[in-house]
Amino acid sequence: MSSPLVLLPGDEIPSEYLPSTSSAPLRLGAGLRLLSQPHPTTKSSSTPSHVLTATQAGILSTDNKRNAVSILSSPHRRYIPTANDLVIAQIHHSSPDYFHCMITPQAPHAVLGQLSFEGATKKTRPMLKQGDLVYARVLSTGLGAGAEVELACVNPATGRAEPGGLGPLNGGMVFDVSTGMAARLMKASSSSTGEHQQEGVAGLVVLDELGKKLEKAGGFEIAIGRNGKVWVDCSNSGDAAVKATVAIGRCLTTLDQHELTAADQKKLVSRVLRELKIEV
Amino acid sequence: MNKEAPLSIAERDFILDALREDVRLDGRAADELRPLKVTFGEEYGHVKVQLGRTSLVTRISAEVTKPHDDRPFDGLFTIAMELTAMGSPAWDNGRQGDLETYVTNVLDRVIRHSNALDTESLCIVKGVSCWSVRADVHITDYDGNLIDAACMGIMAGLQHFRRPDAVVKDGQVIVYGLDERVPVALNITHKPLAVTFHSFDEGKRVILDATRKEEQAAEADVVFGLNNAGDLCFMSKFSGSPVDAMVFVNKTSVALDKVKEINGIIDKALQADLAKRAKKGMAEESRAENDR
Repeated sequence: MSSPLVLLPGDEIPSEYLPSTSSAPLRLGAGLRLLSQPHPTTKSSSTPSHVLTATQAGILSTDNKRNAVSILSSPHRRYIPTANDLVIAQIHHSSPDYFHCMITPQAPHAVLGQLSFEGATKKTRPMLKQGDLVYARVLSTGLGAGAEVELACVNPATGRAEPGGLGPLNGGMVFDVSTGMAARLMKASSSSTGEHQQEGVAGLVVLDELGKKLEKAGGFEIAIGRNGKVWVDCSNSGDAAVKATVAIGRCLTTLDQHELTAADQKKLVSRVLRELKIEV
Repeated sequence: MNKEAPLSIAERDFILDALREDVRLDGRAADELRPLKVTFGEEYGHVKVQLGRTSLVTRISAEVTKPHDDRPFDGLFTIAMELTAMGSPAWDNGRQGDLETYVTNVLDRVIRHSNALDTESLCIVKGVSCWSVRADVHITDYDGNLIDAACMGIMAGLQHFRRPDAVVKDGQVIVYGLDERVPVALNITHKPLAVTFHSFDEGKRVILDATRKEEQAAEADVVFGLNNAGDLCFMSKFSGSPVDAMVFVNKTSVALDKVKEINGIIDKALQADLAKRAKKGMAEESRAENDR
């Protein structure tokens, strides 16, 4: 199971590739679809026979700890909303109950409830205007043609912004990357905080490296949207804020266009910082 | 859904803030072009231009037609450009947007009206037959600065193109195929190119070769059409907020440098392509076996 499994749309996923260690329900990520699941009554002790097919071409990636599978798609620019994805949306207009947001520029608008923010009530809800950005989770994608994608900045069950950081994004800058790159970045950042020193998850060390180098200058905040947008804010950096932001943006876009090894990524970071004359 | 997505407030503010510190998102200086690549296809007059992430294909073609009645000595030259959904999801097939009208108009005035292609040389028989040269521009990817890129494509195409040889014998026009007689290069009188600047921050910051995001954040644009000799054949300040007169004066000289630079790149690519073709032609001729 060490060799990566490449799937084409419609391909069935062999059951030996599915994580079978945990008893928790299997979590499906982007690009996968459940065709049939094992019948609860005929549950045997043998491995459950989920029939899963791919809806996108890409490499299968499994996460045994979270009991999740997803498709690591190739870098393309089209984003297809999937439930539970974190996205960066731009407010287009608002109506009495909803903010209408753009996840991808030319796709139909997604709706975000005026009250689906942490601690929002009728009186304290955020007043967002056209062009503002929010970091939100895809709540549901709806079924059939004309279905609306619904976003939320709060977990409806707990009333908290889970995972942290959901809500309006103020200041900073947004950079466009491919959707595959965004997925890799999220994977890299989630595993670098959780597990200890799993060097080069998905081969990405650029964020760690940038974090180390820019720590003295004040560090930066970053939010990665699965829709291929990365929001970066360095407002703590004082005078170097703009340059640091541009440096991060350039590292990410260059990385997106070229295939770089971990060593090359470190070189890239140093080069970009040197070119922009940021002291580290 | 067929509109260019508006920039978010954060992006607009940031681009402006960065420009105030003389920083551009891709690390260029204010008067710096994106990397330019000009490549030629198998046939004459087939050019691919890549300016950063803006890329387009230009195709020059020629056919024999009847000249206009009021200009019997002139051949025809048309520039056809259509923004299709292939270039950007913001464009619709078969529907003309403002950008398309604007770009086509500028191209017409920079290249056609400045007489870059000598249309009189396209005449075969007075009032009876002439060449009609057509330049088709297809945008394959769009990241700003369409005018300059399209200009480069058309000018490179016109210089690369070879039309079939045609002679008049006893009042009859005979057109020889490309393999029968050496095809003829077009008569280019000068090589004008467009150079576009965008202004920000009440005209205090002016940048060259803006990307799509920069274009959207800009206040106004200024287009210069110049040739290598520095003859200004087009200048426009089409819309947006006012621009200081000194910007025009200063940027014209910058534009001249850029035109020379771009023409140099195009010339180099043309030379390389011609050398490659000459080599291939020699190899073909010196082959021992023939087709018979």
